[in-house]
Parts: sequence; C-alpha cells; structure tokens
Amino acid sequence: MSNVINASHLTLAYDNGAQEIIKDANFSIKKGEFVFITGPSGSGKSTLLKALYGQIKPSEGSLIVGGLDLANISQGKLQELRTHMGIIFQDYKLVNEWTVSKNVVLPLMIAGYAVDVQNTQAERLLKHVKLSEHADKYPMELSGGEQQRVGVARALSKNPVVILADEPTGNLDDYSSNVIWDLMENACQQLDTTVLVVTHKIPTIFSLPYRHLIIESKGVYEVH
Amino acid sequence: MKFIKNHLMFILPLMAILLGIEFFLVFDRTTNTYEKSLKEGYSMLVVAKKPLKLTDFKALNSHIDSAKSIKREDIVSEVAKGISKSTTKEILDALPYFYNVSLDSYMRTASLDRIKSDLEAHKNIKKVETFGSSYSSAYRLFEFIKFTLKLFIGFMAVVSLFLIIKQMEIWKYAHKERMQVMEIFGAPLMLRSGVLFKVAILDAFVATLLTSMFFIYIKFQWAATSGIDIMMQKQEELFRVTDIGILLGSALLIVIIAVYSVVFSSRGVQE
Repeated sequence: MSNVINASHLTLAYDNGAQEIIKDANFSIKKGEFVFITGPSGSGKSTLLKALYGQIKPSEGSLIVGGLDLANISQGKLQELRTHMGIIFQDYKLVNEWTVSKNVVLPLMIAGYAVDVQNTQAERLLKHVKLSEHADKYPMELSGGEQQRVGVARALSKNPVVILADEPTGNLDDYSSNVIWDLMENACQQLDTTVLVVTHKIPTIFSLPYRHLIIESKGVYEVH
Repeated sequence: MKFIKNHLMFILPLMAILLGIEFFLVFDRTTNTYEKSLKEGYSMLVVAKKPLKLTDFKALNSHIDSAKSIKREDIVSEVAKGISKSTTKEILDALPYFYNVSLDSYMRTASLDRIKSDLEAHKNIKKVETFGSSYSSAYRLFEFIKFTLKLFIGFMAVVSLFLIIKQMEIWKYAHKERMQVMEIFGAPLMLRSGVLFKVAILDAFVATLLTSMFFIYIKFQWAATSGIDIMMQKQEELFRVTDIGILLGSALLIVIIAVYSVVFSSRGVQE
C-alpha cells in the first residue's frame, strides 16, 4: 500500500525556528490507515496536524502529503491539496451564518459542484450522521455533539483521501464521542480513507489494533 | 435594519471621500476659469523708445503672450486739446511707445519682477509698470481660498479614511470566521472574499450614485436658482458626466484595497 503521508527528518518550529516543537521526526502513514497521535498537552500534536494541512511550514526536513512536499508548496497547490482533505476540529469551526446543510457541502461548493449535486450529497450525509431533520437549522441551534457530527459530515462530503481530526471529541460527552468515533471508523473501513486523529487519550471503545504514534520530547514515536 | 446600518457605515465615509474628490474637481475647474479671467484681465504697461514687435517681447521672456500697442494719437488727443497741430506733432514725436503686455498664465509677484527685469534689460525699453501690489493682493486671496479648501478636503478625506478603517475592522470581525474555514478547505481567495466583495461593490455603486445625485441637484436646481453669480455663470463646471466615471473608479479602488486588506489580514486559522 502506498504512503499518503511521509515525514522525513521533520522539524516544526515557531518564531522563525527559535521555538522547536518537533525535531527530526520520521514516520509514514499508508492509505486507508487509522492512526492515533497522542501525547501530553503542549507536546506538539496540534502543531503536527497544522503542518499536515499546510497551516505551518516545516523548518527542516520534508513532509510529503499526497505526493506534495509541504516544505516547498505553492499556494495554489496547497489549496488543491486541501480540497482532498477532510478536517475536523475540537471547536467544530462551522460557519454560524450558514445552515447545517450549507456547512456540510462547503468542500463541494469550493470544488465547484452543481447545486443539485450538493443538495443530494447534503441529504445523504445528514442522513448518515442522523441529522436530516436539522438540515435547515443553524449551527448555534444544535448541541455540541450534533455540531461535531455536522463537522464530520463536512469532512466526508467530498470523499477525502485523508481525514485530519484535532481532538474531535474533546468537548463531547461519552455518547456523542462514541457516535463520532463510529463515523470516522466507518469512513476508514468503508471508503479506504486515511484517518489521523490527534487526541489526549485513546478512547476505550477501541479494541481494534489501530496504529498509535506518540509525541514526546519533540520526537514522534511508534507505540507497539 | 441591521442590513441598512451595516451598509450605511461604509457608504457614508465612502461618500465623504467621493464628495471631497468631487469638490476638488469642481473647485479645480472653477478656479481654473477664475484664474483664466484674472490672467486675461491683467496686463503690464511697457514704455519703449522705439516701436517693438511681439517677437521682440517674446525673445525677452517666454511668458509674454501678447503685446498690444496703445495708440499714441489717442494719448495726445486727450492731453493736447486746443493745442495747434504743429505742437501736437512735436508732442507726438517726443512721446514714447506704450504697450499693454499680457502673460500666458497667472503668476506670483516674484515671477512678475523677473519678467520686469528681463524687459528692462532691453535698451529700447524705458519703463515697465507691473501694477504688482493690486495684482499681488488678488493673487494672495485667490491662493488662500484655494489652500483653505484643499486643506478642508484633505481633512475630510483623512477623517473618512479612519471611518473606513473602522468599518474594515467590523468587516474583519464579521467575515473572518467564514473566510478562515473556507481557506482551511482550500477555497481560493476570490471565492472566500466573494461575499465581502459583493457587499463592498454594492456600497461603492450606492455611494457613487448618491454623490452624483447630490451634485446633479446642486448643478440643475440649487445653482440655477441660487442667485449667486459665480454659481450661475459656472453652472456647467459644477458636474460633468465624466465625473461619474472618476467617482466610481475611485470608489471601486478604495473598495478593492479595503477588501483585500481584510482578506489578507484574516488569513490563517484562529485558535
């Protein structure tokens, strides 16, 4: 199976390299893999995720996602790459002045899909995340768990190559968290989507042997 | 209500800038006409020993536009009434040649002094009278009015600019979240700034329309019935169709700069 993500001697830093967060990390993630990235607070989990969607550039080494080196990527290529990613945030990052339905089809809208295709996909995805009856509501009218399900539906809407999730259940209760984990697990198993989840701790519901990376002392290590 | 308020908060300062631009255009046109009439009404008197041609004057100073000879016979006929013909001829022979010399533009008194010294350098020119003092006071008043109005327009533009910057901050607050989310999902700049551009361009058109309507009203209604001579005489200068293009161009330029500033300052993911 081919690698979707490949980090080689990767160093991530803030303040023009003065504040190193991750140093000389090497790892790769294959297509269709489900990977947890854990580590203590402030270890650099979210920084790594930001680097994976091109929000910060590697200071040293290379970080290749979908065949593109994020250390030397043009703005246009980065935009193109992001259209193949589904990103889920702890604080959902939904557009509050848009309806649930419009939020879900944002990636399709960006890709220029026809409105009827967008509507069909919105209907299908909202049914999948069990929010069909909330299609015309606004995010602020939903609970935290429901908002995160909208976030997951948005991430899945364009069948992304990779899903990056930053503490997706950090603000949710156990029931809502389990729903979100199920949705992401299904995406990985049924759509062969690579899923990377940054989290403080691996949920106990996972009995399956998913891959686990840990960030400690600026390094990224495999947990066996 | 909120919709109207949001639009007015950008339209009003934009209108203030457009009013400033239009006032400047109108003022520039009317003062040019006034300057022209001042220039046309002004001439210096040159007294020469021998007749001179316009080319002689132009060779001395390039700002000389025309040189009109004053008929010596007319001068003598005024001063020599009741005097015999022979005496009159003697006076005429002894009388120098007088010229009204006009210039190609309205100048400062220092420039007038320079022209005077250039002319007096000619061996056949005896005397040059520039009427500098009355000329200078009219010119200074004219310059002062020009300066005051430009200062006022400048002040208005600066205040309006601050209001526009304030509105840009409101835009940033209102649109940042959406633009950042769109950016994360790979939306190109034009797509994520589309809504803001639509709002701002609509405001630019409305501000241009209102400013144009204001000046059209001044031109065709107020000026025509104002009873103010200069307004009635210069009515044509008060607003031209081409001004709409200048105003719209300026409004769109301000809008594009404002929107791009907001879009670029909203880049990156908010924590």
